[in-house]
Amino acid sequence: MSITILKPGIASSIQDLGRWGHQQFGIPISGAMDELAARLANILCGNDEHESIIEITLHGTEIMFNEAACISLTGSGSIIYLNDIEIQYNRLIKLDASSILKFKPAPSGCRSYLAIQGGLDVKKEMDSTSTFAPSGIGGINGQNLKTGDIISLTRKKSSHKKADEINITKNGFAVSTWIGVNLKEHHHNGIIRINICAGPEWDLFNEQSRSIFLNSEYSISLKANRMGIQLEGPRLELTEKKEMVSTPVTKGIIQVTNEGLPIILMADAQTTGGYPRISRVCSTDISVLVQCRPTDKIFFNLISEEESINKMNEKKKSLQQLKIALS
Amino acid sequence: MSTIRIYAIHDHALTIELGNEINESINLEVINLKNDFEEKPFDGFIECVPAYSSLTIYFDDNRTLEEIRKEIKSRLEKKNLSTNKSTLIETTLVSTINIKPIIIPVCYDVEYGTDLNWLSNHLGLSIDEIISLHTESFFRVYMMGFIPGFAYMGTLPEKLHAPRKQTPAQQIPIGSVAIAGKQTGIYPAAVPGGWQIIGRTPHVMFDKKRDPISFLKSGDTVQFKSITKKEFESA
Repeated sequence: MSITILKPGIASSIQDLGRWGHQQFGIPISGAMDELAARLANILCGNDEHESIIEITLHGTEIMFNEAACISLTGSGSIIYLNDIEIQYNRLIKLDASSILKFKPAPSGCRSYLAIQGGLDVKKEMDSTSTFAPSGIGGINGQNLKTGDIISLTRKKSSHKKADEINITKNGFAVSTWIGVNLKEHHHNGIIRINICAGPEWDLFNEQSRSIFLNSEYSISLKANRMGIQLEGPRLELTEKKEMVSTPVTKGIIQVTNEGLPIILMADAQTTGGYPRISRVCSTDISVLVQCRPTDKIFFNLISEEESINKMNEKKKSLQQLKIALS
Repeated sequence: MSTIRIYAIHDHALTIELGNEINESINLEVINLKNDFEEKPFDGFIECVPAYSSLTIYFDDNRTLEEIRKEIKSRLEKKNLSTNKSTLIETTLVSTINIKPIIIPVCYDVEYGTDLNWLSNHLGLSIDEIISLHTESFFRVYMMGFIPGFAYMGTLPEKLHAPRKQTPAQQIPIGSVAIAGKQTGIYPAAVPGGWQIIGRTPHVMFDKKRDPISFLKSGDTVQFKSITKKEFESA
């Protein structure tokens, strides 16, 4: 019961919903960049939402199934082929042993999530399987996936029996006729809207900078990874220069560096930081942002704390409804 | 002292900011608050993270920012720290004389303290003077951050205040003891860094397989002890 990594692609790693409880020692939370997509992948498979999944950044990854399995794929960023036939995201897929999954380049999107029914047999380190490669924690030997890595599978009981309704007739696999909820947001003329709330240092930026920040287009730079996403666009200024002592920071915080450019902290970000924080990305929109790739254009939309929480509750509700519908 | 602020850094995390400075009594209050939340966690509490003068509290998605704001305010009031009063009352410092420091051995040989010669020149102090200034004081671990197991300690005697390097070093060896501004720290892993290196400790500062994983934690008191190259190599 295992899978073999034939090619790791640009970057692929084992993640779960994060390593909590150790930030006071400087351990980042890590976990799936797109938490909603990771939860959805597990729900489609009938797994616990916290089950380990594989996060695939962009494309190039190839995985062989050494046993028959049921899987699901969520997120975006690849055109996915199973036994050389294109398959869709957001479905339950039943496949035979020796099936090969390939992630090929797509025009948009950034991160795909692969869940396998029954779960991955990966040892937890500090309460999580999430890979934090810079410190060699979690995953397989603390590293991103490499060619030849073999990941054992577990056979935890699925919360639904939908796989029984799928019959493999040809090509070594079959796909559910139903699809999971679509988590994708609508784009405005190719520019992606990211909802934000005012950050702790919002008021320290001058009025012009705040206005520029909310009315300009920013693009995702090439410096975008699991630690942070650096943006390119108009520079921002504080009303008066201020030295800040470091305070705790987390995924979604938008810091402005000394050069005036925003950096959005991501899952592997340091636990503390000392740059002024103009805003924070709403939890739901972190899932939108992490699906952007370098050169994608975004704009910020300021909403209230209450709206932010309502948006997350709506997403969670639709995931729960899907869970109920499948069971 | 500064105004107490409570603000969200996430839909499920709130920061209590007691000030914006490196100050021992504020940091002591941060650690007191941390201990209070850890000893008497509210329903849905996940973890809290202390920094120099702030504490961030993470909670699960069954609780709202509004509920936890109330919880925090009521705890602050019980501790006589009110956001309405807008001032943090100076707390009496526990006499450091009674605190037993954690002793960390450091070899200050120039082979490991690769910036000692530069510092000696820049600060106008002999290497021996730098070593005695670094070993005679007690330092407080103000916070952990940067990388797993990195302790920000302070405050250094003014004579040792030196700027960060113009260009960070590509890779600082594991265990390197360094200074920057008012602060001193130990690199728990080989990483790029900009602090001035004055020595190296044989102690393992971070080990994911050990319990606790980190040799130091926020609020600890540390004293450095000079060891010879021979002692370092046989440690």
